[in-house]
Amino acid sequence: MRRPEGVIHGLFTPLGGGRIKLLIHPGLLCVISAMVAHAQRVLSRFPVPAIRRTAKLLRFPLKMTRPAEALEMDALLVRVAQCQDRAAFAALFAYFAPRVKAYLLRLGAPSATAEDLAQEALLNLWRKAHLFDPQKASAATWLFTIARNLRIDALRREKRPEFDPQDLMPEAGPDADAAISQQDGEGRLRLALKTLPPDQIAVIELSYFADKPHSEIAGELDIPLGTVKSRLRLAMARLKQALGEMP
Amino acid sequence: MSASHDIHHHPDEALLLAYAAGTADEATSLVVATHMHFCVLCRMQGRTLESLGGAMLDELTPAPLAGDALQNTLARLDQVTPYERPRRAASRDGTPAVLRTYLGGDLRDVRWRRMGPRLSFVELFRRRDVTVRLLRGVPGADSGAHSHAGAELTLVLKGGYTDVTGNYGPGDFQIADAGLVHNTVADPGEDCINLSVTHGALRFEKLLQKIAGPFFGF
Repeated sequence: MRRPEGVIHGLFTPLGGGRIKLLIHPGLLCVISAMVAHAQRVLSRFPVPAIRRTAKLLRFPLKMTRPAEALEMDALLVRVAQCQDRAAFAALFAYFAPRVKAYLLRLGAPSATAEDLAQEALLNLWRKAHLFDPQKASAATWLFTIARNLRIDALRREKRPEFDPQDLMPEAGPDADAAISQQDGEGRLRLALKTLPPDQIAVIELSYFADKPHSEIAGELDIPLGTVKSRLRLAMARLKQALGEMP
Repeated sequence: MSASHDIHHHPDEALLLAYAAGTADEATSLVVATHMHFCVLCRMQGRTLESLGGAMLDELTPAPLAGDALQNTLARLDQVTPYERPRRAASRDGTPAVLRTYLGGDLRDVRWRRMGPRLSFVELFRRRDVTVRLLRGVPGADSGAHSHAGAELTLVLKGGYTDVTGNYGPGDFQIADAGLVHNTVADPGEDCINLSVTHGALRFEKLLQKIAGPFFGF
């Protein structure tokens, strides 16, 4: 089986971006961060206000589980939103435009189109920056959705139907807790991703980068469709567990 | 049209992932997005899968752009206008906004096409071999036993129905694989209205439907 490039696999994860860098096994980090996250959830509901404040301190180690660069991108995007900071935009462009181009190339876009659309994606980031909410998603996730929609629009010439968040019943919305843990959750999600077995990662990678239905992905990997689906199910259960959701 | 009862049947991981990754076709995306209107669990899972997409994007080996790409883009910043969310007219009967775009209005304004005394339908759009329809049955109406050339995705919008695999109410999502032969019967109470996506033609078991089906585009 061909190993797709850019595989999310490392024996160790570097922690911290400054002078001190700690190398730690992602599996171990996953367990630790899940425990910290759980402690935070319990403490934040404690009836004593002083202890509830302690819960906020625990967010710091959780933040450390995301690469320093990624955290920096969130802050830069907020700066673009608040004061149309062009230097911040240039830094976001330097980081994201080549990744969006790589994403479009992987999905089969011709090189010139990928180049144009990558610039278009960053222009969209500038236009929509005021809608970015760092509590809900990271800059990378937000840009992924922009690039994804741009590709469907420009290359497939289709629309992407989306539910309207303002159209939902209030009682059906997720509670504030879920929104807070979403932000810290991205770090834990990335760690959990590194602990998945290679066969599950391969299926996930093809799901994002192959633009094929899962029946064709199964053909490409030479395994039955049922196996593809069960690998996805197992992977999702592991990721949800890492986020502290019900498996 | 609130999800007053619990939702028991959801799209599987593969469908949610294809929707989040943007590889699902428009018809499949529409029925998954409309399910998400009803289902908080699938909305949360959808967000998780988008975060996963963000992580995948982060991990890609960057493909450098031309040397003047940044300068060109910076020069265009002044020409773009800030994005504004499109304003949509409010629904008068709780029809999900994502579906209204395709109906051109509310569910209660749909001009149904009759197919016998108890069933009616309206075709929303067709892409290659994929057809998206609304189906409506009065209580007790049955679709007639049929199987499918490809998978059939069904989302209940109002009322409910029952087949060999179980009972489906508002917000419930059924994935009927090509092999399944089923006869769906509308539950008592209000009319059952479903959003249905079929891949390829239906295969009816009854002779009358075999003959009549193609006339209605089934």
